[in-house]
Amino acid sequence: MLLYTILFYLLSALILAATGLAVTRRNLVHAVVYLVISFFGSAMLFYLLGAPFLAALEVIIYAGAVMILFLFIIMMLRVADFEEQMFPPGQSIPAAILALGYLGIGAVLIFSDPGSRAPLLPAAAEPRVFGSYLFVKHWLAIEVVSLLLLVALVGALYIGRANKARTVATVNKENV
Amino acid sequence: MNWALFNTEIFYFCAAVVFLVLAMLRQTGHRTSYHTALFLAALGVVVCIGTLHLDGLLFLESYRIDLFSQVCKALLAMGLLLVVCLCSELEGVAAEWHNEFYMLLFTCTLAMMLLVSSVHMITIYVSLELSSYTLYVMVALRRDKVTGTKAALKYFLVGVVASAVMLFGLALLYAACGATYLTDLVRLLPPLLNRPLVMTALLLTLCGFFFKLAVFPFHFWAPDVYAGAPNQLAAYIATASKVAAIAILMRVTAVAGDATGFLVDSLVVVAIVSMTVGNLVALVQKDLKRLLAYSSIAHAGYVLIGILSLTPAGYSGALFYALALVVMKFTCFLVVIKVADDGRNIDLDQLAGLHRRAPLLAMALMLAVFGLAGIPPTVGFTAKLLVFNAAMQNGYLTLILIAMFNVVISLYYYLLIVKAAYLTEPAAEPAPMPVSGPVKGLVFALVGTMLVTGIAPHYLIELARRATRVLF
Repeated sequence: MLLYTILFYLLSALILAATGLAVTRRNLVHAVVYLVISFFGSAMLFYLLGAPFLAALEVIIYAGAVMILFLFIIMMLRVADFEEQMFPPGQSIPAAILALGYLGIGAVLIFSDPGSRAPLLPAAAEPRVFGSYLFVKHWLAIEVVSLLLLVALVGALYIGRANKARTVATVNKENV
Repeated sequence: MNWALFNTEIFYFCAAVVFLVLAMLRQTGHRTSYHTALFLAALGVVVCIGTLHLDGLLFLESYRIDLFSQVCKALLAMGLLLVVCLCSELEGVAAEWHNEFYMLLFTCTLAMMLLVSSVHMITIYVSLELSSYTLYVMVALRRDKVTGTKAALKYFLVGVVASAVMLFGLALLYAACGATYLTDLVRLLPPLLNRPLVMTALLLTLCGFFFKLAVFPFHFWAPDVYAGAPNQLAAYIATASKVAAIAILMRVTAVAGDATGFLVDSLVVVAIVSMTVGNLVALVQKDLKRLLAYSSIAHAGYVLIGILSLTPAGYSGALFYALALVVMKFTCFLVVIKVADDGRNIDLDQLAGLHRRAPLLAMALMLAVFGLAGIPPTVGFTAKLLVFNAAMQNGYLTLILIAMFNVVISLYYYLLIVKAAYLTEPAAEPAPMPVSGPVKGLVFALVGTMLVTGIAPHYLIELARRATRVLF
């Protein structure tokens, strides 16, 4: 069990560090690469928790397909020339203080709860079991999500068409 | 599985598909789309009323059809019909996107119907997301792209934060109880309620619904979205979307049982801050739609007073309040849409001389505004009375006093609207505003509903009582 524990905390630290770096990078391509690392970390975490199929999906879909799409968009839009700082110190310092305060409270909350010390039983979900759980038990939710994707498609189509005359970059600038 | 129980949802899904097909054909004129939408929305109301008595569980007990959900669905269907009635011009959206607008409108209504019937955390979450995403896209559909995109982006950012917070809350709730069905939570939660983890989890979960209802601290989107969205959509957000938010908030808070303490205290704080912030900021608004947005933030606070009572009386009061809000807010938006005939935003001053241009509209606006302020004999008074009375029975005297104080503050800006419509002299001699026959009929129906349900609300109160009884 000890080895698993060490691995768990190592992976968690890796994920946190990679995500933190991804959020703070000015260069969007670097940010995406850090995000890929973070997704790989979560995939390994899923594997460790006994969900190998979910781990494979995480790598294939998130680290693979979605991130490649992100890279495409970044390279096509060329919005890398943001000069100004994302948040001035006047905003980021209070935000950091609040976040740290919340971190403290959250840690106290979770560690003071008896549920946090419950031992987890080792378990593994086979792809078949996982699939039937998802598509039988949460059938309605899956259908709703597919409807959500349809709506997202309509929205993407509208925004893509609407900006034919003006490039997306100028709209972005106005909004920022 | 008994598919007959799922009729309403199937109907709205098919309606959305009809518009999807129409959008792909791209040959229909905007009158055709409007008439199709009107027909389908009216048929939807009939379907909803026809399925009012159904009762049962679907999808492995994750979806519950009961009187409460069916009453809410009927309210949502009526809200949709009313909004579609206003779309005859739909100047705020470019003509080639009308079919998409209707498709999203029907999908959004479907999502809210799924939301009010869901009793499983995952179903609740995905339906909430579906209803939010359709609204984001519809806000962006505004003809004036910069305004629309700005408002949609703001809506989206606040919404995403709220939904992330809610997901975190759901995860904590699952960690603490190991249950995702509301029916299991009813059993498991009450003894655990005083554990800090469970309290935090429940409160964070409620944040997603607070966003929908535009309650403090998730109210920042409301004024910008009301001002940036096409006028008809703003009417939809102010009416139907609020009904869904109130309904799901009731369903989720009902699992806490007759709890007191932290959960109720935090709801009290949220309610007080919402109504005070909403009312105070509304005092200085010039744009009519922004003013209505701040007034809905304040009204969300009043509704919360009913919900935080956690008693059948409070819940039925809140449900009645939802109905009252639909009628009153819709009447206000009807006037806004008719005055702003080219789909622009209007200022308070532009109401000047309305009583001479269109006396009927001015009268309806006055009644609706009096209703929002809570003046008898309108439906708004009855709703406030029910909610405050329920809180009084639980002994929240201070809360009621603060709420009454807020009502007095709100009178000022509500009367400003009446003054603008009746007393302010317009700069130039106003041109009379033609009001078509169907619109006249609609206005008479709304005025009649506001007065009749204000004077003789017994039947509706009884219906609300019976509907909310199934929650306990």
